Parts: sequence; C-alpha cells; structure tokens
Amino acid sequence: MDSMLSQYGTVLCLLLVGVLFGAAPLIINFLISPRSSGRYRDQIYESGMLPVGSAWVKFGIAYYLFALIFVAFDVDVVFLFPVALIYDDPQLAASAGKWRDFTEIGIFVGILSLAIVYAYRKGVFRWQ
Amino acid sequence: MPALIAALEGMLGTWLTQFLLGFTALAALITLNAMFMVWFERKVSAWVQGRLGPMEHGPQGTLQTLLDVIKLLGKEPIIPAKVDRTTFILAPVVAFLPALVLLSLLPYSEDLVFTNAESGILLVFAFGGVSLMGVFMGGWSSNNKYALLGGVRAVSQNIAYELPLLLSTMAVVLSAGTLNISKIVQVQTAGGFGWFFMYQPLALIIYIIAATAETNRAPFDIPEAESELVAGFHTEYPAMGFAVFFLAEYTYMFVVCGVGAALFLGGNHGPWLPGPCWFLIKVYFLLFLMVMFRWTFPRLRFDQLMDLAWKLLIPLSLANLMVTALVIKLV
Repeated sequence: MDSMLSQYGTVLCLLLVGVLFGAAPLIINFLISPRSSGRYRDQIYESGMLPVGSAWVKFGIAYYLFALIFVAFDVDVVFLFPVALIYDDPQLAASAGKWRDFTEIGIFVGILSLAIVYAYRKGVFRWQ
Repeated sequence: MPALIAALEGMLGTWLTQFLLGFTALAALITLNAMFMVWFERKVSAWVQGRLGPMEHGPQGTLQTLLDVIKLLGKEPIIPAKVDRTTFILAPVVAFLPALVLLSLLPYSEDLVFTNAESGILLVFAFGGVSLMGVFMGGWSSNNKYALLGGVRAVSQNIAYELPLLLSTMAVVLSAGTLNISKIVQVQTAGGFGWFFMYQPLALIIYIIAATAETNRAPFDIPEAESELVAGFHTEYPAMGFAVFFLAEYTYMFVVCGVGAALFLGGNHGPWLPGPCWFLIKVYFLLFLMVMFRWTFPRLRFDQLMDLAWKLLIPLSLANLMVTALVIKLV
C-alpha cells in the first residue's frame, strides 16, 4: 500500500515538475526575445487577409454526435479493464462456473456493438 | 558516479535523489528524442524523395535541430490582440504537461522503471488525454477559424481512435491478466511464451493505426493539414509556443511506440544487447514505421477518417477482444 501511494506521489510530483519544464522555454523565450511593433503585428493570421469576424461562432453539430457516442463508449470500455484483470481467474471459475465471465463479457460487448449498429442505422456516421 | 549519488543521497535523502536523477534522465530523453526525431524525419523524407535533407550543420546535418531550437528561442512570442490570453498562453504547457509522467511509466528494462504503477496502461491513456486538452485550448483560444477547425478535428479524431486503441490493448491485458506494463513484458519473456504480436497480430495492426491517428501523424494529420488549414491548431503560435507543441507531439510519438513495443514486441527482451538498447531499438523501429507512413499514404478526408475508425477499427477490435476471450477459455 505504501509503495502504491508513493507511486502516485511520484506521478503527482512529475506533473508539477512537468509544468515547470513546459513553461521554462516559454519564459526564457519571453525574456530574451526582441520586441517589434507595427499596425498588423497583433492581427490573427488568416491567409494574409484581414480576418472577417470572430472564430467563436456556432458550427456543425456532426462533431457533437461523435462526442456523445464516444462518452458512452469510453466509459463502457473503462469498465472492461477490471474484467480483463480477473478474467479466467481459477477462484472465480470455482465459485461461478467456467463460462460465467465469458458470457458476461459477451453480453456487455454485445450491447456495446448494438450501440454502434444503432448509431449506424440512425445515420450518425453519414457525413453531411 | 556512484560516489556522487551517495553524496547526494546523504544531503537530500533517497527519494529526492532518485526523483531528481529520474527527472534529469527523462528530461534528457524528451529533448534528445525530439531533436533526433526532427532530424530523422527530415532525413527519411529526403531519402524517400531522393534528396539529401539537412547537410550544412554538423555531420549529415545532425546539429540542424539544435540550431533551430536556438533560433526559435530568439524569436518574438507574439500574442495576437483578439485571442483568449490565459488559455492561449497555457495551451502549450497543458499539451506538454503529462509528457514526463507518460515517459516515467514506460519499462526501459527490468530494473529501470521510474514509476512501476500497477495500473500502468490505464494511467498512460488517462494522462495521454490531457495533452489533447492542450491542443484544443490552443485551437479554440486563437480566435482563428483555421485553428478552431484544427482543434475540433483533433478532438473528434482523438476520441474516435481512442476506442480502438483501448480495445486493442485490452486484448493484450486480457491475455496477460495485468495492467502493469512491466509485468506484461515479463509475461512475454517468461518460459518461451513469446511476444504478444504473435498471438495478437490484428491487435498490433489496429494499435499502430490508432496510435498514428492519436498522435495526429500523417496520413491522419488533418488537425494540422497544411494544405487546407495553414497549420491547424498551432497557426497562431510563434517561437517557443510552437516548439513546445512539437516537443509534446514527438514525446507522445515516443510514448505510444514505447507502449506498443512493451505490449506487443516484448519490451526490453532480446539477445546479446542489454535491455534498454533493445527497448530503444524497438521503439525507434515503430517510429520509423510511423515516419514512413507519412511518405507512403495520402492524407485521409475527414469522413473517411471517421469511417475507418467507427465502421472498421472499432468493430474489428471488439471482435478481436471476443475471440481472445474465447481462446483464453478454450486453451
């Protein structure tokens, strides 16, 4: 348990150090770089023309549907990881029968696949 | 060297010394890998196209990247007027943030593992997702239509290919019975079991395709497709902001190839040479494959990209998972 905590402690420390390691080049760059000025210096770069309007506008919902299926899927896939860990465990086989875990994985993945079939039939994957 | 380490341990304590040593090694790995990969990629592309590539600085142009970095350090970091300032400045840092953690989870050899976490693979995917947030922050905050499109494309592409990536590794996890990357390597090396690519060839192919897409590499480089989006999500980033994005990208290439080498190719296992050498050889072999993809396949259109993931790779990897589960039961 102690070693497990220290593992995640190390991960946390590495994240903190990662911030510094990522920010350091930016800060050095900011300190030593030259400064320029000019009328169009602070413009957004779009094809060398003056940009028309803001980029923060509403746009196609197709991306949103993909995101929605993904959320459903990804959570389900995460549930598969613990199953993969105890799959074909002799203890489990002794208490619940040899094919129990396979059947349950089958049902789970089957329902997952149905989700894809449903989205397919509903035309989510048809790009407009 | 051992005397120096002992002296450091006396001063700072064992944990801090190990942490600092590990951090130094990982930082060196990140920097050297990125510099090598930029040079390597340019050399391979030159070789494919019958050119020489960088030749001017150092033998075969090996110092070219180093000089490029120094040049970028001296460039002005312009922050355009209409961007979302905080998000804009933070984006490259967020994209780079998990790089150290991800590298620390890879098994370089039996005893050279920085954080030997029990849930290693899960951590790799969890932290891998953080960098995507950095990419999207960069794309959105730029207030640039090309950058926004690049960011949105990066997100939908990454979430589409995250699933085959997870499902193909799941087949390996199912066979190995552990999430610990070092233990998965041990399973492959123990008692003539053999490397997992022999049992999971389909999973390896799906993994490589999905990993290429996850790192936004050609032919899946539509988030930064030069010919349509200028430079995609990092269009507005000059100087070091741009460089940090690229540092992150090359580090993730190393990470996905490292996980692939550990899961499918036996990690540090191999004759004659010491473990870390084999690990690096396998990782760079996979990286060479990824570089060659770029010069072999044309870029996919967005709907083709989504079709490939949702209609082919995900069903295939689900089927592969079920077949694996069945075979484990039967054997």
